[in-house]
Amino acid sequence: MALRIPLRAWTVVSALVLAAAWLTLTWGGFVRDLFLPPPDQLWDAFNDLATDGYKNRTLWEHLQISLWRIFAGFVTGALAGTFLGLAMGYWRGVAALASPFVEFLRPLPQLAYLMLLIIWFGIGETSKIILLFLAALPVSAVAARDGVRNVPAQRIHAARTLGATEWQVFRHVVLPSALPEIFTGARIGVGVVYGTLIAAEIIAGSSGIGWMILDAGRFLRSDYVFVGIILIGLMGVALNGALVALETRLVHWAGR
Amino acid sequence: MTLFDTSASRRTLLKASLGVAATGVLTAPRIARAAGPDKINIAYFVGTSPTMIAKGDGWIEELTKAKVNWIEVGSGAEINTAVAAGSVDVGIGIGSAPTAAGLSQGIGYEVVSILDNIGPAEELTVRTSANIKTVADLKGKKVGTPFGSTSHFRLLGLLKTNGLTQKDVTVLDLRPDALVAAWQRGDIDGAYVWAPAKSKILAAGGEVFRTYDKLEAAGYVIADLIVARTAFTQAYPDAVVAILKAGNKALDVWTKTPDKAAELIGKQAGVTAAVAKEDLLQYDFVSPERQLQPDWLGAPGKGGKFAEVLQGTAKFLVEQKSIRSVPELAVFQKGINTAPLVKSLA
Amino acid sequence: MTAQPLHFRLLSLLSVIMFFAGWYAITALHLAPANLLPSMGEVVDAFTDILHNGYRTTTLSEDILATLGRCIGGFGLAALAGVPLGLWMGRSRALAASLDYIIQFMRPLPPLSYLILLILWLGTGDASKVALLFLSALPTIVMASMAAVRGVKQQRIQAALACGATEAQVFRHVVLPSCLPMVMTGLRISLAGTFSTVVAAELMAARDGLGWMVFSASQFLRTDIVMMGILILGVFGMALSWGLLRFDTWLVHWRGRE
Repeated sequence: MALRIPLRAWTVVSALVLAAAWLTLTWGGFVRDLFLPPPDQLWDAFNDLATDGYKNRTLWEHLQISLWRIFAGFVTGALAGTFLGLAMGYWRGVAALASPFVEFLRPLPQLAYLMLLIIWFGIGETSKIILLFLAALPVSAVAARDGVRNVPAQRIHAARTLGATEWQVFRHVVLPSALPEIFTGARIGVGVVYGTLIAAEIIAGSSGIGWMILDAGRFLRSDYVFVGIILIGLMGVALNGALVALETRLVHWAGR
Repeated sequence: MTLFDTSASRRTLLKASLGVAATGVLTAPRIARAAGPDKINIAYFVGTSPTMIAKGDGWIEELTKAKVNWIEVGSGAEINTAVAAGSVDVGIGIGSAPTAAGLSQGIGYEVVSILDNIGPAEELTVRTSANIKTVADLKGKKVGTPFGSTSHFRLLGLLKTNGLTQKDVTVLDLRPDALVAAWQRGDIDGAYVWAPAKSKILAAGGEVFRTYDKLEAAGYVIADLIVARTAFTQAYPDAVVAILKAGNKALDVWTKTPDKAAELIGKQAGVTAAVAKEDLLQYDFVSPERQLQPDWLGAPGKGGKFAEVLQGTAKFLVEQKSIRSVPELAVFQKGINTAPLVKSLA
Repeated sequence: MTAQPLHFRLLSLLSVIMFFAGWYAITALHLAPANLLPSMGEVVDAFTDILHNGYRTTTLSEDILATLGRCIGGFGLAALAGVPLGLWMGRSRALAASLDYIIQFMRPLPPLSYLILLILWLGTGDASKVALLFLSALPTIVMASMAAVRGVKQQRIQAALACGATEAQVFRHVVLPSCLPMVMTGLRISLAGTFSTVVAAELMAARDGLGWMVFSASQFLRTDIVMMGILILGVFGMALSWGLLRFDTWLVHWRGRE
């Protein structure tokens, strides 16, 4: 290999190709702005949203509300799921009692029970957060359960022979060994909650970035839809990055 | 991908090309002007409207000699999307608000007829116990309506004409089913919506808060329309005429024999004849002859007042950031094509 | 799933029975308003009615087939495209650098955010629904396959090459078997995701499918049908996860014996 092209250059080249295709399609008049807005429209739309907001709320407020919902739903769901999962991993009786529901809930599409949540919990924040909570709970529960079950039995035996109490075994052996899997579960959980955000914001709104996309989509405002998609995508990448960073700091012993 | 408006719908083309491939028979003459379409994609709402008789008794199939693909939709926005995507040729019952949005955005369709003037059929209902007597009493209350609908347009018009903003009244985006659920739970004190959700709300502690007459006078006229993809009307003008003919005939059944019509319509919409009749009575079904008067669509070549209504609606939608800009009046005048309606009366 | 001792199975059964008994008690004693929670009898009635007469214009089996067909179509295409692409990206750093940022961006996107665009581009028929499932399943499959190739121990490849194996042989006998466990995990996760997305795909512009049935019933506040739909979807979801796990252990019998 005489010429070695740095990897970053490939990224730049591919991005340029993508941008060129976008420009040709839109400015070249091959595709109407209704289907794919040209860059200048997208930029205008972003500026417009950033300065004027969307339907009585600033863009920031929409983003904040969505982030808050994700946070509330995920934290409550992950905590409840982890506790349930730890108990399921530790006591097989608990596992036997709870697993039919966890296994039922896990693959169940959240949109299917949207209507019931509206009927039961109203149209406010409660039903939205419960939907996200229910999305996060089974994922975390299964991860924590598997984490506890995969703790090598020798370690527990060793700790017991050294005279550790049940609580000490749990606190110093089981929990640290299960933590990497709990974290993996948390990351998958964030992904699931994030993917469910728009479903949650279908429930009566007029707030949230997901609602904005849905509402703009109704009027075929493709420019706002694209801005929304880009924002929601970047937010997702950032969220994932933050979690990975947190994980490497907290679970530095993973793999050892 | 049909990113462009093609002369025949994508499915027809695909079908034609498949036909050529499979049998080797030349199918080109099918695209000729004189012949009718093989298949018509019609979007419609399940509801109490006379056109349901035409659907139930297969009049359109009979008159057009085409296979009709009935596509049920829940909102006018869905019709806009489907027409833009080339999946729908004719939309029956689309509201004037989504139509104004569609015409402003250059979706390739035309208004070919008015189904009904909505009038009092969509109206504000308030919780009796909330003691709302004047518009100002709505301050601090929560009112739900399906966003992007004609009801939404009216509700915001009500606030605007009374000097209220959405800071004073919380306006929530709720689909009709969710509105009923929210109402029953006591989450909202007002709802701007149509039947059957409206009737259910009235039955559960609601009362009508009359707004429509003042709003109509202030220019907030709302109507349900029939739209047809421009390219479809050009390719198959006779099919559009036939569809309108079926609609006229159905309207005749309603005006001449309301009880019989209510029974037929109720069966289609899944409600009892009594409920259907009560709903139907709230709408003003504008006869084809009246539609051709200057007050409504106007005769071909002589625009009626309705183009201004659509433009006014579009102006409002721009303020709402729902669409980008309002085109000139000529765009809306061109967006109304009454030639097929005239022919349907012949 | 490892075989459970009998008394644990009985315990599971007991909790399910308790759940249904609780449901029965709540409705029988009218502890909840009837419009909030349908009784078990109503749900069973709705089920037998729909089993015999169908829901509105479709039969139950048509709805089930429509939903499963969309899942298989979208997921199948994503697997066909995603596994080779991911494996290739794992081998070629240049290709990975060119495409990785797109995949990273797509992965967290809620499918509902771009559904409207797909309908605009591809129409209201099945094409837009299958495309939605394809796009939502693809990133996970690509990333898992790419990570799988990168995880193959270099010593193994070197050893095989040293023994005189060709590139193709190395790929077939060394790289592929080592990758398979992780590729399968990626496929499993993404199929589970596909199942929950298929209902979203049926939210707009659908005329059949289990998701459509639930949404349509919601519009008429038919909670009995909604409940029935949830139970059917849940059972299918459980069967799917169980079947995949079985298939996985059968195909990748060497998993964990590295």
